[in-house]
Amino acid sequence: MLELQGLSKRYGTEVALDDVSLVVRDDEYLTLLGPSGSGKSTLLRVIAGLETPDAGRVLLDGRDIGALPTHRRGLGIVQQNYALFPHMTVFDNVAFGLRFRETAPVADPSEVDRRTRATLDLVGLTGFETRMPGQLSGGQKQRVSLARTLVTEPRICLLDEPLGALDANLRERMTVELRRIREALGVTFLHVTGNEAEALAMGDRMIVLDRGRALAVAPPEEIFAAPADTRVARFLNAWNLIPGRAGADGFEVAGEAPLALPAPAPQAQTYGVPYDAAWISRDPAPAPGEGVLPARYVASEFLGSKVVYLLRRADGKVFEVERHLSREDPETYAQDETLAVRWRLADVHLFDGAGRRIPLAPAGAPA
Amino acid sequence: MGDLPILKRTLAVYTGLFIVFLYGPFVVMGILSFQAGPEGGPQFPIIEWSTYWYRHLFGLTEATRIAPLPIREALLRSLTLAFATTVVSTVLGTLTAQAFRRNFRGSGVIFYLVILGMMVPGLLLGLGQALVAQNLGIDRSWWGTAFVLHVVYTYPFAFLVMLAIFNRFDPRVEEAAWSLGVSPAVTFRKVTFPMVFPGVLSAMLFGFTLSYDEFPRSLFTAGSDVTLPLAIYGTFAVEIHPNIFAFGVLSTLFSFTILAIYGLLMAASVRRARIKASGIQEDEA
Repeated sequence: MLELQGLSKRYGTEVALDDVSLVVRDDEYLTLLGPSGSGKSTLLRVIAGLETPDAGRVLLDGRDIGALPTHRRGLGIVQQNYALFPHMTVFDNVAFGLRFRETAPVADPSEVDRRTRATLDLVGLTGFETRMPGQLSGGQKQRVSLARTLVTEPRICLLDEPLGALDANLRERMTVELRRIREALGVTFLHVTGNEAEALAMGDRMIVLDRGRALAVAPPEEIFAAPADTRVARFLNAWNLIPGRAGADGFEVAGEAPLALPAPAPQAQTYGVPYDAAWISRDPAPAPGEGVLPARYVASEFLGSKVVYLLRRADGKVFEVERHLSREDPETYAQDETLAVRWRLADVHLFDGAGRRIPLAPAGAPA
Repeated sequence: MGDLPILKRTLAVYTGLFIVFLYGPFVVMGILSFQAGPEGGPQFPIIEWSTYWYRHLFGLTEATRIAPLPIREALLRSLTLAFATTVVSTVLGTLTAQAFRRNFRGSGVIFYLVILGMMVPGLLLGLGQALVAQNLGIDRSWWGTAFVLHVVYTYPFAFLVMLAIFNRFDPRVEEAAWSLGVSPAVTFRKVTFPMVFPGVLSAMLFGFTLSYDEFPRSLFTAGSDVTLPLAIYGTFAVEIHPNIFAFGVLSTLFSFTILAIYGLLMAASVRRARIKASGIQEDEA
């Protein structure tokens, strides 16, 4: 178990980490989502001992490892750019840690051979032993980099945007692969990413980091269904966030009829509707238990399994509606056609002036 | 050809002149080295083509009033000195450049202190060194006082070469090695050094060539056992014979050999690097 207590780090006046506390459990896949500059790489580097925090402690199984240099921490790090040793074959890259590590190096060549080959097999690179890194594709380099770390059996494997440099196709495949490999070994993965889909798909739990602060730590389903904060909702790229304020007749938005509230919440200042909870109708009449917003149609984007419709609200802001094609066929609308966007109030979340989600109890709203 | 723009023609003439001035002296020296001997002198015309002065150089001719060049020991000294200088300045330069990969307090000042060694006029430095040695009662010698100055002179070159190399070196490769449990010392030996080796070769080449024909710093500090450039200069004071040219041709060929070896080593390492290419930079977003 890895425990971070109040980690802070600043570069000059720029805050990279601001009082981050976190528990990383054994045998879990933890993803860390944050935009660039959120401090996510810094956090990884502090854990690995590549940066010194200004304040806070890093505990591994209850032992403070803050003073230990990187090579004595027993944590593996998979670098974003793979950082393979360009002058060594794939086999030598992977065997490097076993052969030359300070603690318990493996001197027996047949043992090195056996473990290296077993790990290469695990990542699906059997037969590539004698290749040089320059002869590998991006995905293969990624696997070598992973194998090189995994063969040393680290307590925790830190992955810094491991899929960032791969194309979409490969990224999807590696997503499945990474989970499979992790489960086969039972080692904890701490996976840093700027891609919300990756963080949601891969993590047993996920952390959302912004400007050096951990905004949310929870299983991805929970974070996705009920983001703790408007910033979290924004990073997830799955929520329409409408600014306004709660009034007597509902949620008042500039230039619109008030929106129905799922529950009384006088402090609400942001009204959140998930992209995929809304649907488009030509009927603007209000209905109980539903929210309605008039909007003009702008464009749609066909994404294979789903269609994303872009609409413009009266104040000019874009409202996105995502419809899965397993449920319905794509519709066509005329440019600038005035439509009504509708959603169930049960899917709505409200956020207060500080951006925090307001817990809604009654009227069938989710907790 | 008549339509060649004026700029192009000017540049062509300029380039031609440049090449003439660059290679002219060497060509003249090469031609005169085949002058007949022992009666032929260091001037045109060539009385008769011969290899007399080459044989004279190696003591293969009958004794005449022209003494053989007194350079045998000087050559040996210069080679030894250049080799030692190369080793010491490359090691120092590499270590210093390694230190400069991180910002440390006073790094700016130390940078200029190191660079000073190649900036200060060599003659003054040699004179100063001689005075210091005299005041301290140290005997001047090519392996002592001169050696120190040669290192002072070549060390900044090695340092700058290695600094440029490390500038392009991705530290994440080292970090990856550390995270595998490998100590920084072993990482340097097994990862960093092999990767910067082409740079080390360049630094060595600089050190060797600069030291081998270094004159002003050696002049006051080498003491009575002179180095090769001093020995050659010494012969000018008496009388110039084409044997010096013969030696010049041979030593130029020697330099070319060194360069060729360097080129081959470099090409081999580049070829290897291309095959291996980098698991590094290319895929960066």
